[in-house]
Amino acid sequence: MEKWECTACGFIYDPEKGDPENGIEPGTLFEDLPDNWVCPQCGVGKEYFQKMS
Amino acid sequence: MRLIVIGNGLGGIISSKTLRELDPKAKIDIYAEEKYLYYPRPNLIEFLAGHIPQDNLFAFSKEWYENQNIDLYLGEPIKTIDPDSKEVELKSGERTKYDTLLLANGAHSFIPPFRGTEKQGIFTLRTLDDSLAIIEWVKDHAKAVIIGGGLLGLEIARAIHSRGTEIQVVEFFDRLLPRQLDAEGASVLKAQIEDMGISVRLGVATEEIMGRDRVSGLRFKGGEELEAETAIVAAGVRPNIRLAKESGLATDKGIIVNDYLQTSHPDIFAAGDNIQHRDRIYGIIPASFNQARIAAFNIAGQERKYEGTVLSNTLKVVGLDVTSIGLVNPEEGTSEEFRKERREQGIYKKIVIQDGKVVGAIWMGTRDKVNDISRIILQKIDVEKWKNSLLEDDFDFSVL
Repeated sequence: MEKWECTACGFIYDPEKGDPENGIEPGTLFEDLPDNWVCPQCGVGKEYFQKMS
Repeated sequence: MRLIVIGNGLGGIISSKTLRELDPKAKIDIYAEEKYLYYPRPNLIEFLAGHIPQDNLFAFSKEWYENQNIDLYLGEPIKTIDPDSKEVELKSGERTKYDTLLLANGAHSFIPPFRGTEKQGIFTLRTLDDSLAIIEWVKDHAKAVIIGGGLLGLEIARAIHSRGTEIQVVEFFDRLLPRQLDAEGASVLKAQIEDMGISVRLGVATEEIMGRDRVSGLRFKGGEELEAETAIVAAGVRPNIRLAKESGLATDKGIIVNDYLQTSHPDIFAAGDNIQHRDRIYGIIPASFNQARIAAFNIAGQERKYEGTVLSNTLKVVGLDVTSIGLVNPEEGTSEEFRKERREQGIYKKIVIQDGKVVGAIWMGTRDKVNDISRIILQKIDVEKWKNSLLEDDFDFSVL
């Protein structure tokens, strides 16, 4: 499962962990996050994330 | 310990949040001139484009502030600071004491000294109120000019273009994104932007915004004119230094801080777009983010140094990925440059090498291996042996 990094603040979204505090269950792929999901660290939208190689 | 934070933008919010992690007991009060909860400014572009509703701009709810035990005073600019008595003065004239103060009051849009900037129909974009005003105005004024072909100018162009506005971008330099791109990269970008239906004029100096009480166009140096009903000025930002300066703190272009993000007064820290650190002013989110975290550690008494941030920007205009890292336009004779271009696919890559290390890179039309190149820049890895093959599509970065 691919991790994605916030280009604004460096937060890493790890699908294995999800974002339980904001209702995202572990195992949720980045692509499947709802459109209004924001970076839990700095609050920018999904379009500011980039896939980590 | 009572910390007063001036500013509810990224710098203020991230340092408050970080201090709360480090010190569950500290009293944290945020005073902000704007009347809105925290919103990351990049969201304003998506809002302007009509892609997200106003309610989705905000990253943290009122309850979040309450749960963090952070008191928020919105629409409450600080009038003066008295560093000797450790007090700030509110707009009512009331004074309140702090133990530590953090200046996180950001920056403002810069408007170059053109003639005619007092007219209706002239905007900048920095705040939610700015966005709301632009959205309202462009409904009935569908011919817009953006003054400034930098990052923000192009983002605004893309956003309001999707509202059906006719757009021209005018730029003083001879290329778009002058800070992030070189001549070759900028010409690839220009072609893509024009394909989208946005016109671009380079190398023109605006002298006057014309019109009686509302905008009717621009006049450039040399006398040429251009018609427009809306003018959006995107000519960069300047640190907010007035309050600090009037309080007797050392300022230059920004508020001067040391490596601990301390101003010239030991109880007053500063972080974000308002600071000048080792003679540099950043004005980008990743830098403000680092500074805010580090300031919070120092405020909590855990010494940490800020060593600067490598400039890095990733943006998507007209569906084209553009990443610019570090030094991309070195002075002649100081470095070696390697390029790779496939124009028909909109791909352009360049690296700048000094003393065997990659110090800057431009990556356009692709994000493939951009993380690898970013890593070798940040970690200052010696690439001398591989410099001729780094830009090959199949180069194996695991050897570095």
